[in-house]
Amino acid sequence: MTDISDLDRQIEQLQRCEIIKESEVKALCAKAREILIEEGNVQAVDAPVTVCGDIHGQFYDLKELFTVGGKVPETNYLFMGDFVDRGFYSVETFLLLLALKVRYPDRITLIRGNHESRQITQVYGFYDECLRKYGSITVWRYCTEIFDYLSLSAIVDGRIFCVHGGLSPSITSLDQIRQIDRKQEVPHDGPMCDLLWSDPEDMQGWGVSPRGAGYLFGSDVVNSFCQENEVDLICRAHQLVMEGYKWHFGEMVLTVWSAPNYCYRCGNVAAILELDENLKREFTIFEAAPQESRGIPSKKPQPDYFL
Amino acid sequence: MSADEAVISTNDDAASCKRFGVDKGYWNDPYIGFFVQKSSARKAPEISRGYYARVKSIETLVKNFLTLTECKCQVVSLGAGFDTLFWRLNDEGLVPQSYVEIDFEPVTAKKCHFIKSKKQLLEPLSGEDSEIMMSKSELHSANYHLVSADLRNLATLETKLSASGIDRALPTVFISECVLVYIEVEATDKLIKWIADSFPTALFINYEQVNMTDAFGQVMIQNLKARDCVLSGAVACASLETQMNRFLNNGWTGGDALDLCTVYKCLPQADVQRMERLELLDERELLDQLLSHYCLVWAYKDTKNVGLHNISLS
Repeated sequence: MTDISDLDRQIEQLQRCEIIKESEVKALCAKAREILIEEGNVQAVDAPVTVCGDIHGQFYDLKELFTVGGKVPETNYLFMGDFVDRGFYSVETFLLLLALKVRYPDRITLIRGNHESRQITQVYGFYDECLRKYGSITVWRYCTEIFDYLSLSAIVDGRIFCVHGGLSPSITSLDQIRQIDRKQEVPHDGPMCDLLWSDPEDMQGWGVSPRGAGYLFGSDVVNSFCQENEVDLICRAHQLVMEGYKWHFGEMVLTVWSAPNYCYRCGNVAAILELDENLKREFTIFEAAPQESRGIPSKKPQPDYFL
Repeated sequence: MSADEAVISTNDDAASCKRFGVDKGYWNDPYIGFFVQKSSARKAPEISRGYYARVKSIETLVKNFLTLTECKCQVVSLGAGFDTLFWRLNDEGLVPQSYVEIDFEPVTAKKCHFIKSKKQLLEPLSGEDSEIMMSKSELHSANYHLVSADLRNLATLETKLSASGIDRALPTVFISECVLVYIEVEATDKLIKWIADSFPTALFINYEQVNMTDAFGQVMIQNLKARDCVLSGAVACASLETQMNRFLNNGWTGGDALDLCTVYKCLPQADVQRMERLELLDERELLDQLLSHYCLVWAYKDTKNVGLHNISLS
């Protein structure tokens, strides 16, 4: 049982926003890999479950999320990716979620976002943060290897399809997602890329994404996907919404955003979606953690403006 | 940190963001590297894109002015910081009769030091038989002048401009980039009015915050306050209208006020596309949100009818 007590100690440590040792990260990632490798590309999840959007290294806001949403394992969680980058605590955030995953594999589901990528994390902060906090990129290597094992999507009780970005013109059925070999870096194009990068848009059919990856998808595309796969709702994250969540195309697509005051700059609130055992939906809105709960950061982080 | 020191430090931040953008190839500036060291801190792509739009749009307006007046004009950069526009314009043969940069003494002292120690900065200042006069924090050459003054003190400002050989009869463009926002509106109103009263033919280019009353604006005010930087002039940054009116109510006759989202779309799109390909932007909304909280305002007073109403971004 030393394993579990070790793990519990690491979780406690991470919950205080303290990093764990490089050797512990290595062992944690090895265990996580064993669990994640067994998960499908469309991971089946049972309700009740609380569905969360982007976190982006905003550690103290993730703690706020657990305060309003309930702790693991009392509450089941599904996180729809983008755990890292842009915030100041991507290391602590991702490792805490990963440690919880290893400790309570059936209570928390982590799926991959477009930021769980070697290329993107080198631009948006996770790489630099690992280097700064550990003095080498070894931990970044361990974590990005784990990114490749994260599932691409989830389906709650067979009715609610959850994915980080959205749909792909190369995918009409869930079975096509199941056929993807996901254990790789996020490609620049193709179905796996689209699932992590696409956005809904008021249009018909498919459009070019201003993000430079993935597609814009219209209501007709959503209609036929939902019909073909007997899905009631597509739940996704990926886009900042000032009100925390946003419906698209009536109530066919839902964006959930869980990083309050994104980039410590945007002034938005965050939301989580609580699905009860009958898939009844309830949203909880929360704001950024108050300054006094954030402790004193070793280096005063500053959001960027034009000065 | 004192309030003035905090404002001074915004120059270091702007300079290092510009250096990062230039190193990444967003725009060309052979001189910024002489003023600020390469930093290991990475800047997000929306920051580099925003600085690109700022640098390009101000450069366009100033060039417009220099071309219109055939360089028989003056440039006065208020709170110039480590701006390199003088040297970039000089490379294109666009040298006004006087180019005056004004900032707090600690900033001009540093800038003086950098200019003295880098021949690439110093050589463009030396004319054929003109002397360069330098003190610890001020510098006068044939066309380029660097002086220290507090913009809240008009008497000193006037003296320093005279010492720089400023001729009030000549068409003169005043530039302020994120400068007025740090000063109480009463003081900036006086400054804006004094310029209008003193310079019959003038253009004022102001780049700074706008739409500051919403959640994003309020978060910005708090975040900057947390680093001792108070946006004392934020009242004038409520909307494009308040930004334009501070000029129209203080002696200026016309002009335009655009948010940076609009400015971004007015820039030459071929180069914008090249620039956007440098780094993928993961979330366009972050750029749009930033750009919609900054504006480019220009106001003119054209007693000599040199055609200042024709100044535009195109």
